[in-house]
Amino acid sequence: MKSAEVHEHEQGWDFEKAAMPYVDSLYNTAYRMTRNSEDAEDLVQETYLKAYKYYDKFEEGTNFKAWLFKIMKNTFINNYRKKKLSPHKIDFSEIEESYERVIQKNAPDLIKDPESEIFQDMMDEDVKRSLDSLPHDYKMVVLLADIEGFSYKEIAEILDCPVGTVMSRLYRGRKMLERTLLEYAKKYGYIRSGEPVKMRSRKDEVKPKKRAPGEGDAAEVHEPEDGDETVLFADDEEFEFELEEEREEEEFQIE
Amino acid sequence: MICYDVKRVIYFFLDGQLGENKQKDFTSHLNLCGDCERRAAIQSRLRQFVKKRMHIDPAPEHLKRRLARAVRAFRAEWSASQ
Repeated sequence: MKSAEVHEHEQGWDFEKAAMPYVDSLYNTAYRMTRNSEDAEDLVQETYLKAYKYYDKFEEGTNFKAWLFKIMKNTFINNYRKKKLSPHKIDFSEIEESYERVIQKNAPDLIKDPESEIFQDMMDEDVKRSLDSLPHDYKMVVLLADIEGFSYKEIAEILDCPVGTVMSRLYRGRKMLERTLLEYAKKYGYIRSGEPVKMRSRKDEVKPKKRAPGEGDAAEVHEPEDGDETVLFADDEEFEFELEEEREEEEFQIE
Repeated sequence: MICYDVKRVIYFFLDGQLGENKQKDFTSHLNLCGDCERRAAIQSRLRQFVKKRMHIDPAPEHLKRRLARAVRAFRAEWSASQ
């Protein structure tokens, strides 16, 4: 086995110098994966030692940071996910395009004024919690793409999955994140104006109401109901855009 | 490219991962369609917002020391076995 020691010995290469610049990124991602600083530190240490030991497996000329992330992802699956692997059930029909609509309606000047942000009063912790609330697989692609800046190809390599899967998870993960951010914004009053309106979805056809005698047209107004999970910010227009629920994960292709 | 396509691939466009031809088609559509131009601007702003708020915190100093110690111990063990 030709590990990093041999490489260091023969070439005067320094593993610490090569790997230490990535410790912040690895630790932050580890923390989002484990949500616990002790586990995150252990995970990063194990990643470093494995990288050191199996350095011969690293292909020169490829992305060293991506390789470290791949080791960390594998280590995480082996150590942590086995313990509490609970499959997430996601109802994709609930994810609808609402973010753009909210911005257009509540903050039409946002585009003109580069300093304003609809969520500007939102705490960093709320943004982190929004991301943490995504199912693991979706959280990972969003983290790797949007925070760590990896390309689709690198993410596919890190996660051992086809590029099409990366794209499909990114698509859905970002939609979920938008929805969660809007929910936080609503909960804590970060959105400055606009009334929450029931969000329509295809599954959510308006059922004809039994009309009491003498009841007028007002009865046709569909009021949001408590506990209705699809209540979001949206205007009354039909949603122009709908996710194809049946779409296969692998369908997205570049060119 | 029509508005429907733009909505479908907007994330991938912003990631710069659409491929040269589609990336060009997308930009041409944006130049002609105000709605999609706004749409792209909104999404781009959201991306920046999330990235800014999810800024990478420095790893704890004790972790860095711990990693350096672990690697040194590993290296010493190897040298001793030679």
